Amino acid sequence: MAKLHPMLQPYTPSDDSPWNWEKAAHLLNRAGFGGTAEEIQRVLDDGPDKSVDRLLDFPDAPADEESESDTPDLSDVEGYGKSFRDVAKKFAGKTEEEKKELRKELQRKNAEAIQATVGWWMRRMATGPYPLQEKLTLLWHGHFTTSARDERSARLMWRQNEVLRRNAAGNFLQYVRQISRDPAMLDYLNNQENRKAHPNENYARELMELFTLGIGNYTETDIKQSARAFTGWAHDGDDFIYRKFDHDQGQKTFMGQTGNFDGDDIIAIIFQNPAMSRYITGKLLIWFAYENPEPDINDNLAAAFKEGNWELRPILRTILTSKAFYSDKAIGAQIKSPVQLVVGTTRMLGVDSTRARGLVGGALQQMGQVPFAPPNVKGWPGGRMWISTSTLFVRYNTAVYLAGGAVLPQVDPGKLAKFIGRDKGRSQPVNFDPPTTGSPESVVDHWVALLIQRPIDDDKRKILIDAIGDRVTERSVKDVVQLIVSMPDYQLC
Amino acid sequence: MDKHVSTRRIFLQRGLTVLAAAPTIPAFLDQTVMALANPLDSHSTQQASGTDGKILVVVQLAGGNDGLSTVVPYADDAYHRARPAIGHDAKTVLKINDYIGLHPNLTAFKSLYDSGHLGIIQGVGYPNPNRSHFRSTDIWTSAQPEKAQASSGWVGRYFDNTCTGSDPHVGVAIGGQLPLAMQGERIRPLSFERPESYKYNGKDVAHYLELNKAESEQVASAAPVKPSPSNLYKPAQKKVEPITETDQLDFLHRTAMDAQVSSDEILRMTRGTGHQSGGAYGRDSFANSLQTVAAMIRGGLPTRVYYVSMGGFDTHAGERGRHDTLMKQMSDGIGAFWTDLKKNGCDDRVLMMTFSEFGRRVQQNASGGTDHGAAAPMFVIGNSIKQGVIGKHPSLTDLDQGDLKYNVDFRSVYASILQNWLETPSKPILGQQFPILPVVKA
Repeated sequence: MAKLHPMLQPYTPSDDSPWNWEKAAHLLNRAGFGGTAEEIQRVLDDGPDKSVDRLLDFPDAPADEESESDTPDLSDVEGYGKSFRDVAKKFAGKTEEEKKELRKELQRKNAEAIQATVGWWMRRMATGPYPLQEKLTLLWHGHFTTSARDERSARLMWRQNEVLRRNAAGNFLQYVRQISRDPAMLDYLNNQENRKAHPNENYARELMELFTLGIGNYTETDIKQSARAFTGWAHDGDDFIYRKFDHDQGQKTFMGQTGNFDGDDIIAIIFQNPAMSRYITGKLLIWFAYENPEPDINDNLAAAFKEGNWELRPILRTILTSKAFYSDKAIGAQIKSPVQLVVGTTRMLGVDSTRARGLVGGALQQMGQVPFAPPNVKGWPGGRMWISTSTLFVRYNTAVYLAGGAVLPQVDPGKLAKFIGRDKGRSQPVNFDPPTTGSPESVVDHWVALLIQRPIDDDKRKILIDAIGDRVTERSVKDVVQLIVSMPDYQLC
Repeated sequence: MDKHVSTRRIFLQRGLTVLAAAPTIPAFLDQTVMALANPLDSHSTQQASGTDGKILVVVQLAGGNDGLSTVVPYADDAYHRARPAIGHDAKTVLKINDYIGLHPNLTAFKSLYDSGHLGIIQGVGYPNPNRSHFRSTDIWTSAQPEKAQASSGWVGRYFDNTCTGSDPHVGVAIGGQLPLAMQGERIRPLSFERPESYKYNGKDVAHYLELNKAESEQVASAAPVKPSPSNLYKPAQKKVEPITETDQLDFLHRTAMDAQVSSDEILRMTRGTGHQSGGAYGRDSFANSLQTVAAMIRGGLPTRVYYVSMGGFDTHAGERGRHDTLMKQMSDGIGAFWTDLKKNGCDDRVLMMTFSEFGRRVQQNASGGTDHGAAAPMFVIGNSIKQGVIGKHPSLTDLDQGDLKYNVDFRSVYASILQNWLETPSKPILGQQFPILPVVKA
């Protein structure tokens, strides 16, 4: 084993860099969607090592294998049945013709079924047993992007979501092989139409440009040859199928190697390219630690990724326990994604977001991140692209709303409604009942520690104390919490 | 009267002293001030002006507007054969010439045409038309059909190429989400559903403002950056160093200031617009959007392009009633908008264009509607447009898979507006030089 870069060596608490509330909260923000006071305290007590092990201890299995009841609740969707499991039962024993008819019927309420699936996923992020698994699933959803637009089947979108969950921390080579067979993906990137007679290059291109190598590490000829190798990889509406007669059995020359390659051969050759490991570890460093990671750190991590045969879990462990992860460059320097902002706020305030129905169709759309509706195949750009004058107001107002403030205005979901579904109910006021004990100073310090989780400027602290006034009342506490979630500091984690 | 004083102007009048003294100057304003102070100010950049600059208003008809029921080839037998149940006859259409007439409900359009303020471009489309709403909308709005996944729009690239600084006011889209057309690689224009939603909703606004103001030292550290063409006109360079919490906080404070200043302006301009405007607007959301745009034009917001959309054009079934209503809303809304602009002396500065992602199939379907098609007409409206009909009407018998063949590439229309109205070279924005049409008066 090559030696790990000093910044990737495990962080050990010291007088200069003690293990504290800020670092414990940081771990829960990045390896999940933010911690409650109890969760932060537990991490603080357990220390970084034990906590990371616990966070990484989730089964490499989809939610519905873990628990039969943990599937999207479709009972409100007309003609669907209680869950996708029920839907599968409807298909059993049917002829091809009947299946086709049934699919057509389900398609009528597809948008609503997708909306239910998005709701299920977001609840899982907020209250599910494995926050890191969901955080990774969100990362991979933006990486192996597939959008529900073009009326892509809700059932296939849900199944892809489960594929992302199963492989979230598993073996990346197996992951790429599985995603290359995923029906929703084959549909989204037109591999369904990739036939020997008329090759379609879309999947072959994105496999290299976005999923494995990054731009500049392959040629246009590589794309053409790779597309030939993926001909005939299709789905029959439910499952992956290999259409033998559509597959090009000829010789292909790809990245300097020649043979009668199929898709798996192409993937194997791509994995021999050092650019692949670097591309993926770079993405993980940005997602969990910080933007623009130093090339020497990333090269070192990429080498470890390759040596470990592309197992993701050990790499995730290295990142989450590293000195780099707990450095000043990392802590508090990430702009929360809209999903992180919404899920995190509900967790940290302990409010029930089921009343906030308008969020998916309205606020998340205006903030620029609706699960299952990434803007394009590149996924969400993230970082400062989340922030504009328009989105900042929506972000503030959404957080204020979740803290018991003004109800979000109902927004016309426009074309989004076509594939995400229209919200059935208006947003209701959120019940947020904070305790009202302590002095104005202690109330401010308490909520800053819970919500921002890092020290703030003394000037800002004074403004918040001033805002409470002389008397701590339910009203004044609520108001100050709404102010805290409207601070630039709260946009970061 | 302060209604013509734009935010930017307030700061510009006080000039560089503001930059030196004000602790809370928003990010876009200091860049603008620097741009003005810069002797190297390139001729290719355009200072948006609240009171005299030219303005483009883009109207999107989302869902695929039926071109043949909008500009009706009433004298063509093939039209009546293809549309026995939903066609319009020669008696009801508002005749433009002896071949075409406007939909009977386009009365305001007809008056605009008669007074020389409306042009019709026939048979607009693009090669290998796509019949998916999403894909075809992406093609029209990105103007990059070769890109499977475009990340910027044609108006956005116009902002990137010609506007200095990062003032988000250069573009304003009415709607919940910024449309791809307006999305630049560098500039992120404003978008809001209603002006009232473009503001902070919390109760304690005074403390909120204090918590969000930009720190004086943060501005001071940004000010010494020497303005030069390289840092003003290129997309912000990617920092190689990791971004720290302090950098991020600085950025967020500045954006929050930008947001607050523009929110105040926009709310002030649009408050009580119903009384000030001279147009008799309807109550539908399209009329509302146009009324808001007119208020912002009147108020002197330094905006170059406004974007408004109207939905519901996907008329697969029962087209007659629905499409008739849509035509009335479109025509009445736009009619009221122009009356408003004229009354307030802003009409000379504005040019409007309409587009839809595709027209519809020539042959009506079995449900009294029409399915997704291809080429369709576009409208251009304004005092400076060349009145009349541009381009040949596509043949109703020589079809491409049942659809009209296009005669005019939509990028030619964009190029003509970019060059002859917005006065900017179109090639850098559209990737190649498209033929210029006589859309704008010479």
